[in-house]
Amino acid sequence: MFLTPEIITLTVLNFLFVIFATIAFVNALKIVLYYNADATTSYQYALEKKSYLSATIIKFIFYVKIPLFIFFVYTLDSLSNLLPGAMCAAGVVSATSYGTPLLFLKILNLYIFAFWIVLNDEDMKYEGQPYLKKKFLLFCVAYFLLIAEIVLESVMFGAMDINSVVDCCGAIFSTTSQTYLSEILATSPTVLLGLFYGVFLLMIVSYIFKNRYIYSFLNILFVLISLITLIAFFGTYIYEQPTHHCPFCLLQSDYNYIGYFLYIVLFVGTFFGFTLGIIEFDDQELQKRFHISLLYNSLYVAVVSYYPLLYYVKNGVWL
Amino acid sequence: MIEIKNVSKIYDGNIVALQDINLRFKEGELIILKGVSGSGKSTILSLIAGLSKPTLGEITVDKKKISKLPDHFAASYRRDNIGIVFQKYNLIPTLSVTENVLLPLFPLNLPRELMKEKSSNVLQKFSIEHKANVIVKNLSGGEQQRVAIARANINDPKIILADEPTANLDEKLSLEFIEILRELKSKKRTIIIATHDPLFFDLDIVDRTVSIEHGKLL
Repeated sequence: MFLTPEIITLTVLNFLFVIFATIAFVNALKIVLYYNADATTSYQYALEKKSYLSATIIKFIFYVKIPLFIFFVYTLDSLSNLLPGAMCAAGVVSATSYGTPLLFLKILNLYIFAFWIVLNDEDMKYEGQPYLKKKFLLFCVAYFLLIAEIVLESVMFGAMDINSVVDCCGAIFSTTSQTYLSEILATSPTVLLGLFYGVFLLMIVSYIFKNRYIYSFLNILFVLISLITLIAFFGTYIYEQPTHHCPFCLLQSDYNYIGYFLYIVLFVGTFFGFTLGIIEFDDQELQKRFHISLLYNSLYVAVVSYYPLLYYVKNGVWL
Repeated sequence: MIEIKNVSKIYDGNIVALQDINLRFKEGELIILKGVSGSGKSTILSLIAGLSKPTLGEITVDKKKISKLPDHFAASYRRDNIGIVFQKYNLIPTLSVTENVLLPLFPLNLPRELMKEKSSNVLQKFSIEHKANVIVKNLSGGEQQRVAIARANINDPKIILADEPTANLDEKLSLEFIEILRELKSKKRTIIIATHDPLFFDLDIVDRTVSIEHGKLL
């Protein structure tokens, strides 16, 4: 194990998250079990006060977690300078067996906490707080995922060995390695692009017909196919190298930090789209979320499509 | 109608301000809450205004459960339905009379002209329009109270709560205040006054006097 200022910062913040989230979790559990909106007992009034406190804590955790996720990715990238063999964050992630599950868990938690905030905002719009129990029940689940994430992160940093040679992204995201990823990378670009633009087109159709359930489902598909096509196809045009498939090198200054932009735009677009199918928004809010989602998803499609087109215009060939 | 059902209020876990209070106020009534300092009068006003919640029991206004409202809904309810005249007026001393009176309207984003018209009407109604642009800290106690009453009425509330409104006034100004009350009562406003000023006890406009001692009704 080794400590850098970034790891110490993440560890201290994780420690604070555990304390605050545990307070919120205990309150959330009591609310789920005993909250009765019609009761006028002192215990009920105390629970109502606790619900505000807990909601504030959870919001605080989420609002810190958004920039912290970007900081976490930056930390992984900066650690690549210390691990022999690593060229970017991909090498750091694969340095231990905990890296990949941690990354997926962090992304999942980001979506869950963002969803919680939307649920909370909707809940607070109505006097009767219709989502109160649901939002705290969701937090009870999210709490365990958060704790799992924090434990996994600590274990990952603890297991890193500065003296072991790790793989670089070229080896990890190679079409010749024996992994599921290599099979995906070896899939014909025509098929992948057909799926990518096909899903996007269906999304536009469901937007026009304002079918929120289909639109929401398509957003889940879109985030998956977008990540796959980014690694398998579009990334190679950003790097201008047919064998470079790393999703982390995009975050480096050599590529103008375009990865941060792409991932944030994709997250916002798909998140707003995804929530449409789950929460009953009023008409105005529904329209607003449709617009935001399609705007960000279109922006993502436009930016990733720009790179291969630019390459073709400049060189007259595809990679 | 305002209904207080089995309400208790305990501060900091052991300071009992109200104990099992049951009260009903009809629309258009003028009620005096009578009692010495610390008897629980102000706590009742604060509960009706939705400024605080009971420890136990329920408060309803026109069948709306005020004590169960989330904080931001309680604020809207208060803005739309309640006018409060505080003992120390709670005006902002560095703002002008007009600015103080307009404060409850700012969250409503009303057109400028409408706000101007409303402030002008209410200042005229409470005979303070000639001081409209004066900074509040330069006013006398009686004038400050008129501003406080004007502010409490700018939204045309159906309930007016006054906490020791004459505590800082001499007799002449107190009588002027009673005249204002008379006018408000004629407009069917429900008025609840917490006071221990004997001037109020035998007034013809008072419908009922409720006595409180150590947080209990007598």
